[in-house]
Amino acid sequence: MQLDLINFTKRFGDTTVIENMSLSVHSGEMIALLGPSGCGKSTTLFAICGIHRIDEGQLMFGGKDVAHLPSQARNVGVVFQNYALYPHMTVAENIVFPLKVQKMNRTDREAMVRKYAELVRIDALLDRRPAQLSGGQQQRVALARALVRQPDFLLLDEPLANLDAKLRLEMRSEIRRLQQETGLTAILVTHDQVEAMSMCDRIALMNGGRIVQYDTPTAMYERPETAFVAGFLGNPPISFLSGSGLGLSEAQVAQYGVRPESFGPQFGSTLSGRVTFVETQGREDLFDVRLTTGEILRSIQPAGSGIRLADTVNWGVAHDKLLRFDQNGQRI
Amino acid sequence: MPAKNWPILLLLTVVTLPLLIMCGYSVIDAFTDTAPGSLVPTRFTLEHFRFLWEPVAEARGSIWVATANTFVFATTSALVVTMVSLTAGYALSRLNFPARGFFLAGLIVLHAFPTITLIIAIFLILQMLGLYDTLIGVIVVKTALELPLGIWIMKGFYDTVPWEIEMAGVQDGASRATVWWYLVLPQVQPGLMALILFSFLSGWSEYILPQVLAPGSDARVLSTYLSSLILDDTKADFNLFKAVGLFYATPVVVIYLLFQKHLMNIYGGGTKG
Amino acid sequence: MRRINWLGLAFLSPALVMVTLFFLLPVVLTGFFAFTNMSTATGVMGGDYLLNTSTLRALADQGLPKETLAKLEAGGYRVDEAGLAALAAATSPATADELAQLHAGAEFSDRRDMERALKDLRANAIRNTRDRKAATELFKRSILNERFSEEAAFRAALSETGTRPELSDQITEAAFTGWVWTTDNVKLLFALPSTLRYAANTLLYVTLTLAFNVGFGLFLAITTFYLPKGQGALFRAIWFLPRILPPVLYVLMWRWFTWDTGFLSTVSGYLGMSPKNWMLDTSYHAWTAVVLINGFVGASMGMIIFSSAIRAIPTSMLHASEVDGASRWQQVRWIIVPQLAWPILFITCYQTLSLLTSFEYILLATDGGPGRSTEVWSLAAYHTALSNYGGNLEYGLGASFALVLVVIGIGASLIYFRLFNFKRLITKPLIEG
Repeated sequence: MQLDLINFTKRFGDTTVIENMSLSVHSGEMIALLGPSGCGKSTTLFAICGIHRIDEGQLMFGGKDVAHLPSQARNVGVVFQNYALYPHMTVAENIVFPLKVQKMNRTDREAMVRKYAELVRIDALLDRRPAQLSGGQQQRVALARALVRQPDFLLLDEPLANLDAKLRLEMRSEIRRLQQETGLTAILVTHDQVEAMSMCDRIALMNGGRIVQYDTPTAMYERPETAFVAGFLGNPPISFLSGSGLGLSEAQVAQYGVRPESFGPQFGSTLSGRVTFVETQGREDLFDVRLTTGEILRSIQPAGSGIRLADTVNWGVAHDKLLRFDQNGQRI
Repeated sequence: MPAKNWPILLLLTVVTLPLLIMCGYSVIDAFTDTAPGSLVPTRFTLEHFRFLWEPVAEARGSIWVATANTFVFATTSALVVTMVSLTAGYALSRLNFPARGFFLAGLIVLHAFPTITLIIAIFLILQMLGLYDTLIGVIVVKTALELPLGIWIMKGFYDTVPWEIEMAGVQDGASRATVWWYLVLPQVQPGLMALILFSFLSGWSEYILPQVLAPGSDARVLSTYLSSLILDDTKADFNLFKAVGLFYATPVVVIYLLFQKHLMNIYGGGTKG
Repeated sequence: MRRINWLGLAFLSPALVMVTLFFLLPVVLTGFFAFTNMSTATGVMGGDYLLNTSTLRALADQGLPKETLAKLEAGGYRVDEAGLAALAAATSPATADELAQLHAGAEFSDRRDMERALKDLRANAIRNTRDRKAATELFKRSILNERFSEEAAFRAALSETGTRPELSDQITEAAFTGWVWTTDNVKLLFALPSTLRYAANTLLYVTLTLAFNVGFGLFLAITTFYLPKGQGALFRAIWFLPRILPPVLYVLMWRWFTWDTGFLSTVSGYLGMSPKNWMLDTSYHAWTAVVLINGFVGASMGMIIFSSAIRAIPTSMLHASEVDGASRWQQVRWIIVPQLAWPILFITCYQTLSLLTSFEYILLATDGGPGRSTEVWSLAAYHTALSNYGGNLEYGLGASFALVLVVIGIGASLIYFRLFNFKRLITKPLIEG
């Protein structure tokens, strides 16, 4: 189902948190609301599911305005950051709760619980209580509970934040698998760019209560509209420097952005600098190079280059990958 | 901590001694006879508990009527306080409604308010309503006066329930009332238990309200039964008093020993001293 | 248009009704009652109009003219339906009929005139003197000792006595047996020397008990903190007893401990001293008892709150001070007590208010005695309005005592509201739904 948020404004008391925001999610698509903390991404999610009121604007579910409907009437499944499982109920009781509320009959209910428990692969745990489950298992229960009522949309609020690194990797693909298998339209709220880029079809990058760019992960990485987007996406992060450091001078360009992979010996030897920082990551090495102008460029290179701290290097940048920004941070 | 604790232990024991003596002799004297001018009991007897099976001259009315009244009084007021606090506390903790801030501020002011100052006005109101000298009148008053504290305590327990549980319930399609009943209430069960016990003990121990509002013998409770014994100055039979006192205090002590942890939740956060 | 969440109001309404009726209403009514002369004599529910000898005496003191008093007292005789019916029953219907024919509606101011009317009946004259006197009494109509439930009826009867109209307001007011509005209570409160005495007693009581509560509570919390876990818990459990035991029983234990047949007297008897009542012997004894009895209860609350505050102090801080070579006393003085500043303030505020208004333990222990040396303000209110030996309970005056406390209570609650920043507790619900 298509979701359209049109001119959405949200205030808490006198402070306007989000003003005139619009967002469209196509049917079957999974998008990420990505941004630093306090950018309004969770507020947006809560407005969509009905926990927060929509002060101004429209929220269309498949062309129907639901902005004034309560949560219960919106048919949205939500997975919360800490999973919000009901601690006094077993896994099965947790999953069946939305169906009980709908007053579905017992046999149908049980069939649905079994079906979704199998889908998220927790059918062996149905009699346990949430406290007896690992973080990953709790996450799966929360997913089953959100999916069992066959919602129009699936909203995920920082679903991976409470998992350790290994589980996070596993659940990333698991959530994407479930979304694709069920064909649901999904919105993922996260502050982790890797999650957003790896799991979603499109990313809406938010800052200060506004969407600054809404695009596919690749497009956003390669063609960021602003310096903020360029700086937010990419790890290790992009380096910004003035024209003089690169020996360039172009009208209107206030600063240049150089991705770490666009700076190194393979792009020539026009820039000279001293290595001020080396970080070995196994497969790759990360360098900070202080140019003669004092500005610092980051570079990522295959491991085994033998370059050490305080060495002087003469490297170049890939000019076709240079990002140019004007006074206001807009890309030219 | 270093091991030299015996000076502290000694000091504490000495300070605690009067209290220990008072409590200890309450039990000893209830079951024994002691010659005047001595502290050493001479013989074991159940004589002092005769009030249980025969009328005692000093006391007007039967102990069993008083016990039944006390039980009804404490139980009813505890249940009503808890039930009303259960809904009102939830509303104030979690629900949106007009003038919520005003009600909350009012509650905060009221829960610390010394209710005993209202006793004169309440006495007159009960007279006007025709509820004076009835058990029901005392129950209603006790309940109303206990309510702000009960709501305050219950609100505190609701405040600790994670919001996400309710959000999840609402997202699962349940109404707020359903969410409250099926999802939130099970989380505050320890608090519910604590509040019931707390209000029950408070009712069981209450003295001033029944004394002032229902002094007649029909509505007599154990506290007024015991006090009328004691305040009858003609003959101070402390053995009898202590036996009655022991009978009166047994449920309190039992509840305290069994549910100490629950109760500390309330007394610890304590307000009224 | 916003959705209004009626559920919230519905959930709140039972509490609202009860709290309003038996909590807020008494607060307001205390204010009203304080300005009435309600007492056992006036009753609570309105009243009647009645002139009796004591009312007349009061009126005489107010300077009512002698002749008016005499008129009120004297009354007269009237041949009316009620009298005739009584006469018919006492003698015969024929007698009554004849009297009615001759004198129906007649009034006689003198008893002899009435007697003559009865004597002069032609067919049914009452000859016997004693019977005639008795029959005469049947027609006596006096305003004295007659109860009127309506003011208009009383005034009508009053004018029939021939009282001058300009005096009738004064007489009606005096005759009213119910309560009336008055500011006398407040004037009396300021005028009575005992008021000052109660205020001073209250100040003494609150100060001493509070100091004991906080000091002893601190002592218990700190000493049990340094004991091994089990021992500390045991002592805390024991010291919680004063708070958990019913007040009547708790005070009973104190009575036994201090009275002339009790523990202290027995022990001092072993030492050759004659037994005495250690609680009521002198006012010093009484004050000590009052402070200790209340203090043990209050200290247990302090103990609990201070204990949990001490446990919240990071142990690394205590370990560090031990490594620095601090003695226990220094540790208590420089590390623990400063961390307890806030709980101490909290306890002080809450207990000030509750001590100011509580009288339960004093009532049960000394009942304000010996003399009135331990009579505190709230106990005075109780004695005035709800329990005294005189028997005439002065509700109005008692209410004006209580009103002072209610005003202080409201004021203090509001101050604490600001002091402890309770406003921060008023947060918005997260589900706006």
